[in-house]
Amino acid sequence: MGLAGPANSQTTRTDIEALRLRIAALENRHVLSVPDDTSAGDGLALLTPPAGLLHEVFTDEQRAAGATLGFALGIARSYLGGGRKAILYLELAAEAQEIGLPYGHGLMSYGIDPDRLVIGRVANMSELFWAMEEAIACRSVAAVIADLAVGNRGLDFTASRRLSLRAAAAGTSALLLRYGHDREASAAQLRWRVRPAPSRADPHDQAAPGRPRFLVDIEKRRLGGGRASPDTSTLVLDWTGHGFVAAQDRRQPAASHRWRTAPSRPQPAALGDRLSEAG
Amino acid sequence: MRLAALDFLANRAGLVVGQSLSDARALLPDLVLRELDEGFTTQVFADFADWHSNASPIVAVHDDVAPWGDLMLDITGVAHLFGGEEKLLDRLLGRLRELGFTVTGAIADTIGAAWALAHFAPGRIIGGSELVQVLAGLPVAALRLTESQVFGLVQMGLKQVGQLYGRDRKALQARFGQSLLLRLDQALGGIEERITPRLPIPDYYAERRFAEPIGYLDDVLMTMRDLAIQLGLRLGTAQQGAQGFHLMLYRVDHKVMTLSVNAARATRDPDHIASLFVHRSDRLGSEYDAGFGIDSIRLAATSLAPLADVQVGAFGTDDGAADLDRLFDRMSSRLGPLAVVRSKPVDTHIPERAVRLEPVVARTDDDPGARPDPDLPRPLRLLPAPEPVDVIAEVPDGPPKRMVWRRVSYKVLKASGPERIEAEWWRSGQRLALLEAPPSREKKSDPRDDAQRKRPGLPVGEASPLADFDPDAVTRDYYIVEDDGGRRFWVFRVGLYGAESRPRWFLHGFFA
Repeated sequence: MGLAGPANSQTTRTDIEALRLRIAALENRHVLSVPDDTSAGDGLALLTPPAGLLHEVFTDEQRAAGATLGFALGIARSYLGGGRKAILYLELAAEAQEIGLPYGHGLMSYGIDPDRLVIGRVANMSELFWAMEEAIACRSVAAVIADLAVGNRGLDFTASRRLSLRAAAAGTSALLLRYGHDREASAAQLRWRVRPAPSRADPHDQAAPGRPRFLVDIEKRRLGGGRASPDTSTLVLDWTGHGFVAAQDRRQPAASHRWRTAPSRPQPAALGDRLSEAG
Repeated sequence: MRLAALDFLANRAGLVVGQSLSDARALLPDLVLRELDEGFTTQVFADFADWHSNASPIVAVHDDVAPWGDLMLDITGVAHLFGGEEKLLDRLLGRLRELGFTVTGAIADTIGAAWALAHFAPGRIIGGSELVQVLAGLPVAALRLTESQVFGLVQMGLKQVGQLYGRDRKALQARFGQSLLLRLDQALGGIEERITPRLPIPDYYAERRFAEPIGYLDDVLMTMRDLAIQLGLRLGTAQQGAQGFHLMLYRVDHKVMTLSVNAARATRDPDHIASLFVHRSDRLGSEYDAGFGIDSIRLAATSLAPLADVQVGAFGTDDGAADLDRLFDRMSSRLGPLAVVRSKPVDTHIPERAVRLEPVVARTDDDPGARPDPDLPRPLRLLPAPEPVDVIAEVPDGPPKRMVWRRVSYKVLKASGPERIEAEWWRSGQRLALLEAPPSREKKSDPRDDAQRKRPGLPVGEASPLADFDPDAVTRDYYIVEDDGGRRFWVFRVGLYGAESRPRWFLHGFFA
C-alpha cells in the first residue's frame, strides 16, 4: 500500500487536519484561538499565552515559593481584562505558615491590584479540585492559581486532564504551582520551570537587590496541533511591574537602563516653561 | 446543695424546690437524685425552644428565674392559624404532654403576666382589663422576684400581688429594691419588656409539613428545592431579594436543625438558593442527623433588599460581576465563609495587621485612608507568624551577611534597608479593640452553625499570636535580603546590637 507517495502525503496531511479538527470538536476546544506552533516559537511570546490553558509552574524548592507566585501572577495578570476580573488563588489552609499567604500590600507593590486576587483556603485536595473546577467554569474569572506545596496527592493524569478540558471549554486558564524535580504525565499544555536568579543591582544603590529576575525553562509546550521540539534555551526575565522583559546584558552600563518605564501620557511642564504658555 | 427541680411524685411527697438536700433526704431516704448539669440542660432546653418556632417565629428563652429558662413565644398574629388562642395553647401543651413532658402554659398580654399565670394559674388565657384582677389573686412569687424579696414581702403580710397595688412606691423601692417595682410594672404592662428571639426572624418563608416524617437528606433537599421556588415567587411579588437563607428542619423529637447560607448580593433565584444549600449540605457529613424523622421544613429569607425585575435581553449590560458573586456564594457555602477571602487594607503600619482577610460574601467598604503606599517594598507572600532566624550581621545596624532559616544556611549578597517600623504608641490603649473581629453578617445570622466550624489555627482578620514578642511594644528594622540563588526574603531585627539583650532576627515574608 503506497502511502509514501507525494500525493498520498498530501491526503494524509489533510486527513490529519480533519482528524485534528474532529478531536478538537470532541474536546470542545477552540482551535482557532490557539496559535500555530510556528508563530509561538519565541518563548517570550508565550509569556502572554492564549486563554484556556492549563499551566504547570515548577520550582525546584519550596523556599523559592515567592518567585513561583511572582511568575504565576505575572502570567495570570495578562488574562485580566475584558469581562474577566478576578484571579483566584487556592492554597491548603494548613500550609499558610509553611509558604505564607499572598500579601495585599505586596501585590500592590508587585503591580497587581490586591482587590483582584481572591484567596481560597481549602481543607483538602478534593476541595481544592472542586474549587478549581467551579472557578474555571466561571466566565468572570481570569485565572485560577493553585499552590500545591504538599506535593501531588490526588493530582494524577485524570485530574489534570479534567482540569485542562474544563479550562479549554470555559476559556479560563489554570496554573498549578508545584515544587520539586519529579515530573509525571500531565495534561497541562505548558510546563514552566522557574528559578529565581540573582538580580542586577538597583541602579541607585549597588548593594540593593534590583528588579526580580527569573530563569525560566519551557519544558513542555503543547499548543494546537504541533509536536514542537521543546525549547531548550533558558529565558532570563525581569519583572518590571507592568510585565516581563528579557533581562538586559549585564555589561551594559547601569545608567542606560531606566528603572521605571515612563507613562505614555503628556508630561506636565513647569510654570516657567514656554511650553505651558503655548498650550 | 439544694433541690432545683422535682417530678410529680416528689411533689406529692411534700418536697419543695429550694429545699436543702439533707432535709429532703431526711424526709425521703430513698430519694433518687441527679446533679444538675446546667450547661447541658440549658443547651437541651434551647434546642427544645427552637423547635417551637414551628408555632411562632419569635421564640425566646428567659433564663432569669428557672435554672434552664422559661420558654416564651410571641403569638401575635399567629393564633388564628391554629383556630384561636385556646386551641393554640391546647395544641402546644398537648403535643408536649404526649412526648411525656410535665408542662404548664398560659397566654397573657405581657411577658410577666404570662409567666405568673403559667406558674400559678396554668392553662388560662387572660387579656385586657381582666388581667389586673386575675393577677391580684396570685401570690407575690408570681412576679418573678428573688427569694429574699418574696420572703420579705410575705413577712410583711403582703402575700398577694393585689396587696401591692396602690402602695407607696417609694417605700416599696426602699425596702425591696427597684426590681420589685420593675417586675410589677412589667407584669401589668406599665413597662415594656422585650422578647429577644433566639432564631433570626424571617421576613419571608415557605414551609411544608409532612404527614409522615422524612429522613433522607435527598428528600430534604428535594423539598428545599420546591420551597425555594415558592419563596422566590413570594419575594418576586414583593420585588425583594434576600441575602440570608435559613433552612430549618423540625424533627419529630423536638429538635430543630438550622442550615444557613449567605449570598454576596441579594437574590431570589430558586436555582441559586438551592445550589447553595446543596453545597452547604455537602459539608454536613455526619452532622446530619434526622433522628426519628423530620416532620416539617421551613425555608426562611432574611436581610432583604429591594430587587427589581430585570429584563434579560439583547441589550443587557452584563459585566460579569453577578457571575463572580455567584461563584463566591457557591464556594463559601461549600468550603465555609472563612475559606474564601479577600485582602482588606487596614490603616496601620504593622505589616501583619495591615491586611485583614475578609470573607467575600460579607464584603465591607475599604477605608480610603488604609490604601497601601505602592512605593513601599512589601513581600508577595507573608508568613502569618514571623519565624526566628539565626543571623550574622554587621554591627550596629547593618543588613545580615549570613542567615540560617529552617536549618538551611543562606549567604546574603544584596540587601536593602533598614525600614524602621515603630510600635504604634497611639494604639497601645486600644489593643483589645483592634484585635476584636468586627461583627460580620454571617456570624449574626448563623450563630451556631458556622461559628463552630471556624478552622483552628488560621489567622482570620486578626493578628497572629506572636508568642515571642509584643507587636505593640517593639520597634522592628526590616531588610530585604537576596541570597546567592536570587531568593529574596523580608527579615527584621528586634532590638539593637550593644544593648543589654541581644537583638533577635525574624523572617517575615518572601519577595518574588
